[in-house]
Amino acid sequence: MAGVIDRYVASLRRELDFDPALARRLASEVEDHLRDAAEADPAWPSPDAERRAVERFGVAREIAAQFAVDAVDRQARRTWITLLVTVAVTFVAMRLRAMWLDDGAIQALAPLVDRYAFIGAIAVGAVGWFAFRRSLLAFTICLCGLLASIAAGIVRADLFAHGAPAAVLLAAAGEIALVGLLAFHVIGLSRRLRRTAALRGDDR
Amino acid sequence: MLKGHLDAIVLAALEAGPAHGYAIIEAIKNRSTSTFDLPEGTVYPALHRLEQAGLLSSAWTTPPGGRRRRVYSLTKAGSAALAERRKVWGRFSRAVDTLLGGRAWPA
Repeated sequence: MAGVIDRYVASLRRELDFDPALARRLASEVEDHLRDAAEADPAWPSPDAERRAVERFGVAREIAAQFAVDAVDRQARRTWITLLVTVAVTFVAMRLRAMWLDDGAIQALAPLVDRYAFIGAIAVGAVGWFAFRRSLLAFTICLCGLLASIAAGIVRADLFAHGAPAAVLLAAAGEIALVGLLAFHVIGLSRRLRRTAALRGDDR
Repeated sequence: MLKGHLDAIVLAALEAGPAHGYAIIEAIKNRSTSTFDLPEGTVYPALHRLEQAGLLSSAWTTPPGGRRRRVYSLTKAGSAALAERRKVWGRFSRAVDTLLGGRAWPA
């Protein structure tokens, strides 16, 4: 039968399910801590010594909530970096497409869609960030990335169909990969935000 | 109030040398003569945050005949951050002392 410390460590691991690597590392670190604390108790060895060590350590959910807040902060930073790189690469890819399309390879509509989609997405992103900067960062990033990728996707399909040069195709591939990475980070950010809200909500 | 200064307190506790989580909590308790009797678990988010920020480094060690432990130590950046936080705290505490003591400010 699991002891008090084992049950506590298992519950902490469950609360830290938003970051499995952290949960594994912390479980073993916390178990060491609790065994040290229990062994220093005058009643050791006994379940009471373990119980007192666990009580002094604090509520697992509150500790997990502190980790969750830090995890959101890190994830938001990663999302911002990916967003900035995505915008830069999208700009380069758009310029390359425009240069190639200006050679008269395809119809006049494609560069216009590409250019105005990029400008439109940046404008929507900037306005969205300003309007909702305190609460809806993830929504703004999603909208910006979605608009840019839908519009540029139309042009990309055209490029592949007409056999664009390698540099143009590579830039387009980079764009697709970065939008995918951005979506991955936004989903991660949203998951961590929900988990943090749940953990902190139960504190109150 | 203490929570806002926990990172600096943890950095200061590691100034004397590398230590594991339990030893850090004990050092804080002893050095503050039990004034800061935090829930022991609160030190781990701070340790993790400081490590992510590059102010601490950590490694697993196993002393002979002992239990395997993760030991934390200050990095160069951590020492510099501690010195900076000491300066900020010094200014802040002098200002609060002056205000609470009813003296003219700045002292």
